Amino acid sequence: MKGKVGKAFVVAVAAMAIMMTGSAWSAETIKVGVLLPLTGSQAKFGEIEKRSYEMAAEEINAKGGVRGMKIELRFEDDTGKPDVGRSAVEKLISRDKVPVLTGGYSSSVTLAATPVAQQFKVPFVISTGSDDAITEKKYDYIFRINPPASEYPNAVKTFLQGVAKDVKTVALLYENSAFGQSSSKSFEKDCGELGLKILVKEGYQAGAIDFKPVLTKVKAANPDMIYMVSYVMDASLLMRQSKELRINPKLFVGGGAGFTLPEFAKSAGAAADGVYSATLWLETLPFPGAKAYFDKFQKKYGSETEYHGAEAYAAMQVVADALKRAKSLTPKDIRDALAATNVKTVFGPVKFISYGKMTQQNKLDTYMVQWQKGELEAVWPKSVATKKYIYPTPNWDKRK
Amino acid sequence: MDVFLQTIVAGVLKGGLYALIGIGMTLIMGVMGIINLAHGQLMMLAMYVTFVLSTMGVDPYIALFIAMPLLFLLGVAIQKFLLNPLIKADTILPENQVLMTVGIGMVVTEIVRFIFTSDYKSVTTTYSERTFFLGNISFSVALTIAFAIALAFTGAMFWFLLKTDLGRSIRATAQDKDAATLMGVNTGRITVITFGLGSGLVAAAGCLLAPVYYVFPDLGGPFTAKAFIITILGGLGSTVGAIFGGVTLGLAESLGATYFGMEFEDIVGLTIFILVLLFLPGGFKRLTKV
Repeated sequence: MKGKVGKAFVVAVAAMAIMMTGSAWSAETIKVGVLLPLTGSQAKFGEIEKRSYEMAAEEINAKGGVRGMKIELRFEDDTGKPDVGRSAVEKLISRDKVPVLTGGYSSSVTLAATPVAQQFKVPFVISTGSDDAITEKKYDYIFRINPPASEYPNAVKTFLQGVAKDVKTVALLYENSAFGQSSSKSFEKDCGELGLKILVKEGYQAGAIDFKPVLTKVKAANPDMIYMVSYVMDASLLMRQSKELRINPKLFVGGGAGFTLPEFAKSAGAAADGVYSATLWLETLPFPGAKAYFDKFQKKYGSETEYHGAEAYAAMQVVADALKRAKSLTPKDIRDALAATNVKTVFGPVKFISYGKMTQQNKLDTYMVQWQKGELEAVWPKSVATKKYIYPTPNWDKRK
Repeated sequence: MDVFLQTIVAGVLKGGLYALIGIGMTLIMGVMGIINLAHGQLMMLAMYVTFVLSTMGVDPYIALFIAMPLLFLLGVAIQKFLLNPLIKADTILPENQVLMTVGIGMVVTEIVRFIFTSDYKSVTTTYSERTFFLGNISFSVALTIAFAIALAFTGAMFWFLLKTDLGRSIRATAQDKDAATLMGVNTGRITVITFGLGSGLVAAAGCLLAPVYYVFPDLGGPFTAKAFIITILGGLGSTVGAIFGGVTLGLAESLGATYFGMEFEDIVGLTIFILVLLFLPGGFKRLTKV
């Protein structure tokens, strides 16, 4: 009798032990490090991206996670500063022991953080940092989903060739940052190819109150087109003050970043109308899950998302896909799996290839949008257009 | 010529606003001998007050009369409950009050971020982008009004300091605190009122800036730095100096932006700052003697 109880006890203990280890095993998570600006002046975008990462991870985990394990996101705040970004990545790698990193918002921070990942040999899937140089360093642990800054204006180029053929002169205004300089330099090159003459080229410090000195110069030069590389509130002030000074080019074009955000239209008001912008993504594009992502984000958080969010969501999709395919969960195997990525995301198809000076870079189309009556409409290329473009932009005095 | 005139106009108009931002800091500096490093953050707070009121349909210029008293009270509370206790503790150096203001600035920023998130908010009014033209030179209506109000406030402040009992007491405290105490001035109360006034003035600047700019929690830092530069330019503790300092900074930024390139805007401001420190250590106060 005693023996039987003893045996049963042993079995029970053994069963419990198995159950416990079992549950302990399934509670194990795959840590993914995410570097984003969560405070500081870029926190707005950091928040959109953080929510998108969280949403994507939740969806993946709800479907059973990856390899029976749940994905656990470890966010680190880079505060928009390169040195903080560097130490944040060091912390993620050495303290949290994450086998893979993603995020990377501003170009300056990303440029500072990627060498750390390369040095520790932990793969880093960049979602947003767009300075060309980031993938030009032959780092084999750095991958980038978004196009480099030099390709942002590709759609603008074809628009100038196809529609705005009478544009001959350009004024170029850009934020004095890694992103702004990189974008403006490549746009200058594009102008050379298109035979456009640059009349004014001015950098400015982000966060300025008054752009009138620069805009006055632009007005005096009277260009056919004004091309601006700016974040959202500088963008809004640039347009408001262009309206104040009655600057009337044939078109205003924003080179990505700030000009597509709802805050831009809200803050610039009527001055936003007719402004074109290069963009990387729209919810109306024919990518699987793009519209669903957009709608779900809006429902869940009660605010709008845009291309930065789609980049983050897609980065999570890419990382999860690589984790699924990797031979093991070591950084090395995850890197190899990432290199073989061929997956369709909400941001478009992702495949890391080498072209030009860049390695492990995803190649994507870009698009052109225009604010029409407070709505952001896709206008170029025609295949994805939701409204016809309005060209040239009407004079300020002739608007109601 | 138009480019030059437009640059001057833009610089002077912006300078008026800068002056108003600087006066509050210079006043606090003069009386308490400390730099209030939460100055820009207090302005940010006033801008959020303006923003909240504007969502309820209150015009920024009316919000001025709500934000100013509110910030005055906040300033009074800060001085009374956070800064004055530090003076009383013997072992603590006056620098600790400056450190305290840094802390206050951080707390204010994070509380605002907690309530409003990091989103950019803007206060758009019908006159936000309205302009009038004199010849070919455009004047922003909002900035012109701001300039006029800033001048009015500065004038009022000047009169208050020169002609009223309270103003004289403030100046007495600024000149020699111990002597003022011996003459029967309640210097503890004066510091409290001065911090309130400084906060109220920068609140006014915030309300005037709101329609032409935008607001987000991290806005304080850069404006604290600007206020600091203006205070040094004008001469510590001089209200008239603050006007000169503000307009000089505004003009320098505008001229620098037009003739050197706008990316050097901050560099131009800081270069003048260093030059003044080197060659005119007392600021413009030395020249005006007021």
